Amino acid sequence: MSSRRSRSRQSGSSRITDEQISDLVSKLQDLLPEARLRSNDRMPSSRVLQETCNYIRSLHREVDDLSERLSELLATSDMSSAQAAIIRSLLM
Amino acid sequence: MASTSSSAAVVEERESGRKRKRGGATGESEGSEEVQPSKWRTRGVHEIYSSKLLDAIRLVRSGSGSPASAAAGTAAAAAAAAASAAPQRSRAVREAADRALAVSARGRTHWSRAILASRRRRLKAARRARLREPASPASRHPTSPPGKGPKAPALARKAKVLGRLVPGCRKLPFPALLAEASDYIAALEMQVRAMTALAEVLSTVSASSSGTSSSPA
Repeated sequence: MSSRRSRSRQSGSSRITDEQISDLVSKLQDLLPEARLRSNDRMPSSRVLQETCNYIRSLHREVDDLSERLSELLATSDMSSAQAAIIRSLLM
Repeated sequence: MASTSSSAAVVEERESGRKRKRGGATGESEGSEEVQPSKWRTRGVHEIYSSKLLDAIRLVRSGSGSPASAAAGTAAAAAAAAASAAPQRSRAVREAADRALAVSARGRTHWSRAILASRRRRLKAARRARLREPASPASRHPTSPPGKGPKAPALARKAKVLGRLVPGCRKLPFPALLAEASDYIAALEMQVRAMTALAEVLSTVSASSSGTSSSPA
């Protein structure tokens, strides 16, 4: 990740500063579920990245489980267009 | 001038009308990038996504119902498709949900474009390429960034892992990767919420329809 060095690497618009990076890291930290428990004190960046990876993996797993559940539900039910309209209205 | 200020006011008004949630404190106005994770929390995007999701999985259902053996070609493939119907269907649902999610992102993020682009590529080329390629050249020499001593390689390693998790972000520079990851996480959370709600609705509907005798509509 040599782009972290704000030197000649950046051909485009902005130079990457440490402040920018720490700002993004703190934003990422705010998204993590752990951040709601803590006092939002700054975690080290590596910890934030690690937790981010773990969180994304867990979200992927959740989506996979939900997909399986939805596919089972789809297999058993026969959905007419009227039923689909009802379901759509229930979702809104 | 006046035109720019009025257009800015219109944009702001539209955004605040769209937000419609309790703590929409995004007065920072992150710039014209619109890669704000908060946009995944609006009710509007949830409804749009739920609707797309419903359409997508209905297509999956009708797609798997039609004789897939005709498309498969060989009898062995047809048998395999029938045998592995369940995991294939759930994977199809997952991919349909991901595609609907990427469409809802309106193509402003790398991951959404990668999801939409990868579908065709994956079906044809990537399968053969994966068999050929031994491994992606991940040996980028983790000791290369001499920036902050022992901390840098660990960070670079984790950043690489993160880049692999978020679709289409393997080669992004670090700040862009972080921005993509935050948007992707927000989108995934919305996906989970919407799919959960849909599963609840479907299970309720199917339970009630199986309880009472449903007349063919």
